[in-house]
Amino acid sequence: MISVKNIYKDFGTLRVLNAVSCEIKDGEKVVIIGPSGSGKSTMLRCMNLLESPTYGEIWLDGKLLTPADPYLHPAVMQTSKTYAKLYGKMPDEAEVIRAIKEKDLLKKHEGRAYQAALKEVEKQNQIDINLARQQMGMVFQHFNLFNNMTVLQNLTLAPVQLKLKSKEEAEQHAMQLLTRIGLQDKANVYPSTLSGGQKQRIAIVRALAMNPKVMLFDEPTSALDPEMVGEVLDLIRELADEGMTMVIVTHEMGFAREVADRILFMDGGQIVEEAPPAELFTSPQNPRTKEFLSKVL
Amino acid sequence: MDFFHKIIELFSTPKYMESIWEGLKTTLIISVLAALIGLLLGTLLAIVAIAKDSKWTKLPKLICKIYITVIRGTPMALQLFIMAYVIFAIRGFPQIVTATIAFGLNSSAYVAENIRAGILSVDIGQTEAGRALGLPGRTTMLKIVIPQAIKNVIPAIGNELIALIKETSIVSMIGMYDLTMAAKIIGSGNNMASYIVPMTVVALFYLGIVYLLTFGIKLIEKRLRASDKR
Repeated sequence: MISVKNIYKDFGTLRVLNAVSCEIKDGEKVVIIGPSGSGKSTMLRCMNLLESPTYGEIWLDGKLLTPADPYLHPAVMQTSKTYAKLYGKMPDEAEVIRAIKEKDLLKKHEGRAYQAALKEVEKQNQIDINLARQQMGMVFQHFNLFNNMTVLQNLTLAPVQLKLKSKEEAEQHAMQLLTRIGLQDKANVYPSTLSGGQKQRIAIVRALAMNPKVMLFDEPTSALDPEMVGEVLDLIRELADEGMTMVIVTHEMGFAREVADRILFMDGGQIVEEAPPAELFTSPQNPRTKEFLSKVL
Repeated sequence: MDFFHKIIELFSTPKYMESIWEGLKTTLIISVLAALIGLLLGTLLAIVAIAKDSKWTKLPKLICKIYITVIRGTPMALQLFIMAYVIFAIRGFPQIVTATIAFGLNSSAYVAENIRAGILSVDIGQTEAGRALGLPGRTTMLKIVIPQAIKNVIPAIGNELIALIKETSIVSMIGMYDLTMAAKIIGSGNNMASYIVPMTVVALFYLGIVYLLTFGIKLIEKRLRASDKR
């Protein structure tokens, strides 16, 4: 479903993500854990390009979301001037490619053939980012409901604006979703009158109103009062049981263990360890994972 | 007693009332037209100022920045003089146009800063939520950010309009006949021979205009705040 290929993210001189790769399969529930500042939120936000990776590529269902990264396409590298220069010195093609990758040798201008090859990769694979985002629901830590709209308008804005549904259809679907979470009587109120738990559940169904293929959760319960965490987790659990593909960044270890098919432990901008929850929580391999789990469990 | 007597005299003498009416007309025409120019141009400047950095926006953004800095960094009276005695120093060029343009340009710089601040004051999460749903940047701006920004800038824009109305009183410095000038001329006349009376009356006129404007802004603010709990 989602492929993250060798992404780097720099904020100024700070490298937040360092050569991260992962695959999210259809129907899979992946939970990302790790200390704060480990890059887990950044990685999630890179998946729908709320942050654009400095290097590397993101793919959704075989479609490229980011600009093409030449280092991931040997055929493109072969058209570069640098490759031509090195090929004279090193006879082996694979060796040249490896050298270019390792030493980061590609420059901005590598000749017309190279530019054309890069453009061709993008032309064949790239999908409009707005189209891609429609298929990926995102839930934020701070809910981010549209303050200038009623709950119902929050749910119908995107489907109607993007002409996926008529206003009536969108409202009908929105009411179904609100009924599902028991908030149908809140349809015409503004977000400022709701509790945190209600806001977050509405934010979740707002994403569902687009019928996404995958849901991304960025610490969905971190800004909630403790007594409201349960209702939000229950809803996410329900979605998981229905088979929704999801990627969740969370600090709720109990929930992670229960819902995840696979856990990624991140630290220092890298995926340090990944394993099914039973394995990762009971017998972590990496010392950093052990240290982190000993603090939080 | 003399003071009240003279006030009655002022209001009952058609000559004086005509003078005040003439002055009031000039003040209002300049204020309203300059406010319109200021709002339109100011919005445009704000949109340019917050545009993303790219090779297409680099030059417009720089021009915009210099314009705002220069206008806000020099006295209004000086700007008016430059307009009247340098740029539009053409015999017979209508002074009211000169003044309107000068005040409009001045106001636009302040309006631009207010609107820019208003847009930036909307939580970035709102934009992110819109974009994450797949909405294009333009739709997100128009449907989500700007409606919330307007609510935030109305009080500041109101302040700017009030300041603008009062500042128009300096058009008398280029010899125009506005409300302030009317008071001065009436006061210096032989019959009235008192500044305090016409000045007080004209002050009440300004106060009345500003009061009405404040009232209107409060009304708009109240309606826009319907979605807030406060």
